[in-house]
Amino acid sequence: MAAGTPRFSSLRTRLAVLYAGLFAVAMLCVSAVLYGVVERTAEGQVRRELVASGTVFDRLWQQRSDQMRDAAGLMARDFGFRSAVATHDASTIESALSNLRERLGLPMAIMVDIDGNVVGADDAAIGREARDMAMQLDNDAVGGVVSLGGAARHLVAAPIMAPALSGWVLFSVDLDDHEMHGLEQLSAIPLTATVYQRQADGRWAPGERTTKLINPAIDRFIADSGAAATPSTVDAGQGVAIALVKPLPTMPGAPPTVLLLQYPLARALAPYRPLQIAIAIVSLAGLALVVAATWRMARSITRPISQLDEAAGRIAEGDRVNVEVDSGDEIGRLAATFNRMADEISERERRIAHLAFNDVLTGLPNRALFHEQLDRELRLAERRSGGVALLCVDLDDFKLVNDTLGHPVGDTLLRQIAGRLGDLPDDVFAARLGADEFVIIQPMADEGDIEEVGALARRLIGLLQVPVRIGDHDIEPHASIGIAVSPADGQETETLLRNADLALHQAKQAGRHMIRFFEPALNARAQARRAIETDLRRALQNGELELFFQPLIDLAKRKIGSFEALIRWRHPTRGLVPPVEFIPIAEETGLIVPIGAWVVREACRQARSWGDEALRVAVNVSSIQMREPGLAQVIGQALQTSGLAPSRLEIEITESVFLDSSASTLDLLHELRAIGTRIALDDFGTGYSSLSYLQSFPFDKIKIDRSFVVALAERQGAGAIVQAIIDLAGALGMETTAEGVETQAQLTELTRRGVGSIQGYLFSKPVPAGEVAGLLASPLRVGLSESSLRA
Amino acid sequence: MTIRILAAALALLAGSAAAAADLEVQVRAPNGQPVADAVVTVHLVARPTPAPKVGTGYAIDQQDIQFHPFVTVVPVGSRIMFMNHDATRHHVYSFSPAKHFELKLEQRQQNRDVVFDKAGVVPLGCNIHDKMIAFIDVVDTPWAVKTGSDGRAVLRGLPATGVTVTVWHPYLKAPGNHVDRNVPLSDGAPRREGFGVALRNPPQAPAISDY
Repeated sequence: MAAGTPRFSSLRTRLAVLYAGLFAVAMLCVSAVLYGVVERTAEGQVRRELVASGTVFDRLWQQRSDQMRDAAGLMARDFGFRSAVATHDASTIESALSNLRERLGLPMAIMVDIDGNVVGADDAAIGREARDMAMQLDNDAVGGVVSLGGAARHLVAAPIMAPALSGWVLFSVDLDDHEMHGLEQLSAIPLTATVYQRQADGRWAPGERTTKLINPAIDRFIADSGAAATPSTVDAGQGVAIALVKPLPTMPGAPPTVLLLQYPLARALAPYRPLQIAIAIVSLAGLALVVAATWRMARSITRPISQLDEAAGRIAEGDRVNVEVDSGDEIGRLAATFNRMADEISERERRIAHLAFNDVLTGLPNRALFHEQLDRELRLAERRSGGVALLCVDLDDFKLVNDTLGHPVGDTLLRQIAGRLGDLPDDVFAARLGADEFVIIQPMADEGDIEEVGALARRLIGLLQVPVRIGDHDIEPHASIGIAVSPADGQETETLLRNADLALHQAKQAGRHMIRFFEPALNARAQARRAIETDLRRALQNGELELFFQPLIDLAKRKIGSFEALIRWRHPTRGLVPPVEFIPIAEETGLIVPIGAWVVREACRQARSWGDEALRVAVNVSSIQMREPGLAQVIGQALQTSGLAPSRLEIEITESVFLDSSASTLDLLHELRAIGTRIALDDFGTGYSSLSYLQSFPFDKIKIDRSFVVALAERQGAGAIVQAIIDLAGALGMETTAEGVETQAQLTELTRRGVGSIQGYLFSKPVPAGEVAGLLASPLRVGLSESSLRA
Repeated sequence: MTIRILAAALALLAGSAAAAADLEVQVRAPNGQPVADAVVTVHLVARPTPAPKVGTGYAIDQQDIQFHPFVTVVPVGSRIMFMNHDATRHHVYSFSPAKHFELKLEQRQQNRDVVFDKAGVVPLGCNIHDKMIAFIDVVDTPWAVKTGSDGRAVLRGLPATGVTVTVWHPYLKAPGNHVDRNVPLSDGAPRREGFGVALRNPPQAPAISDY
């Protein structure tokens, strides 16, 4: 609906109001037209009647005039009367006039003779007025309205010819109410007739002597009517009337006089009043019928709509509904469609709910549902003073399965594992959080009933390690389990989950395929790690990191041949943080990549400042860095920026870099070699030391792990291994460096066995960059005497 | 013929007196039309007007329901013969103070005469036929003459003295239907007087419903 129209909240009311309103308007129009027609008809009829009455009045007037004039004429020609006039026989004249007055019922009949004598006048003044008028007359018989004695009178004058003009017989009647009433009686319609005369001032006043009050409306109406002999309406203060002005003949010199015929419109319409009332009643009755019918019809239309409305509301509230509509019309079809829609919505809702709370791959509840469940169990446990055990289960080496056998196999494995978890007792809730991570919730009747939880965990380990055959592969899944128990290990969902996760981490750390309960210490360690991680991110930006340099002594040249750059973290509050505390964290979080890049750039910059073009600098690169793309670019850019000769940069890697993907690692090493940098194999002899590495890549140097150097004095055979390494390296054309040299005895032994260079506290601990110059300038603190060399 | 006789008589009378004067009167209506049938009489101002000589042979005919002539001038004491030529009867009357009489004339050739022995205007009517009307001016002066169709009246042999000239016409709009004027007459050239008079319409035969 257009703006501004009243708004109805109910469609039914709106329909009813709209249709009833339209009908009412139509009825109103019809009634108005009928009313107008009736009114016009009545008015027209009255106009015609008025015109007819006017004509009748003319005739009546004529007849009256004729009657009077004939009587006057007869009298004037009566021989005896003429004789009496001629002989001035006043008494005879008087008696004759009186006789005539009585016979004809005339108020006035007088005789005026040619000499101005008046006979028969009751009122001398009127007699004189009549005489003055008569004296101006010719010897014609005339008649018309005059003003005599201040009142309009109808007067006829008949000359007395004896045979010459010897006087006049004057008859007159008053045009008063009585006379007019007589005229009115003769009309077909009950109208009012009034005589109006124009006053000296031009206004029209009633002709009667007694009432000279001027009605302005009438005055204007008569003045405007002119010669138009057509009726029109006038409102003279007593309601609208239809009126007709008929000019009356006047005697010469008399003021213009009219006869005003009036007929009140109300009376004209009175005969039609029943018809108008009937129209009104029919209209109202029709309107009532339409309102009732529309109301009923609107109800039949809107009831199904209301039902649909209500049903839609219930759907919004989540109910499942079905609308009963039996009609076959649009609304019926709408209802059918609505029902179908409701069914589909409910089905979709069910599917969405399932998707929302279940894992697509395994069908197990997902993280969201797990959270809800854990919340609920925690609340229940709190109420019954019990506990909840949360078990985080993670498959060991699942990534390896995915990487080596492909994701389809991994997915199948996960489904199998989920199936096994689904076989757990009813009170146990299992969910998959993502990847190979599963959780189990077990309500505990008694908080201290740890044994029960342990039994469940062991049962899980046993359940999961049953070998699975997928395609051609036999897989023996192993799992690690971390357990946290409420309320001791946390009463919040998040806390409990984090602690169970820490326990799981611990189990993984401890060597996998294990069960670990959460210990508070785990939590403290985890928090410390997180603090370090947070600070470390900031450290790089704030310049809290710096490089220390430890010299490597070239035994053949008896001088410092190179420095190994070692990172140090000068924490603003904790002071110097040892690398062992933050490097593993940096590696875990990936921060090692930007930190490593910084180390390379800083080492190159420092080395460039040393001046000695023969001095090299060694930088450690972790396996994480090696895996990240762009290492070669970082190194190349560092060299270019610093202007350091590539041959003066030595990249130290450990054997662990070969554990992941040896092919790509080798490519990278070759790339670095192509730039011109040297590559050293660090910590040789520990871990997965394999001679094949030495064969696969032509390292420039092998650094013998400090464990062998320490063992030289303690274990028999250690010297033989060191000798073997040195000999092997010599054979492959690689240099050797012994790390961790701390005693003179070690130095002597290593020198004797032919190692190329040594590094350790015996000569110098790592020093800040500022001390490098001093170190280079001073003589070696421990002299490399000939004797020692010989020994 | 009657007029000529009268005029000859008047001329005789005038000749017997002292010096004679002539009066020529022209009567016209306001629109300039000459007025016929107006009677011009002359009375002396300073001395009594001599009585006229009674004439003879006056007659008023009733023919075709009308009097003929319309106006008759006779000296006082004259006898007028009323002659009915119509096939109807006439009831001739006059209520005039000069002569009050009634004559019931049978149809066809019945003649009656009446002597008019008093000066004044005598309107004649017929009580049977309203439209019949005629006037007799009974004069007490030897000098009276009726205008012709040219509206002229000529009086000869009048005494050369101050006279009152009276013009009368039955329908003249004035009291007594006449107007007077004193005129000094003298010998020599005829005195010319013009009278402008307004006339009433002659009475119509009354008809029913005639306004």
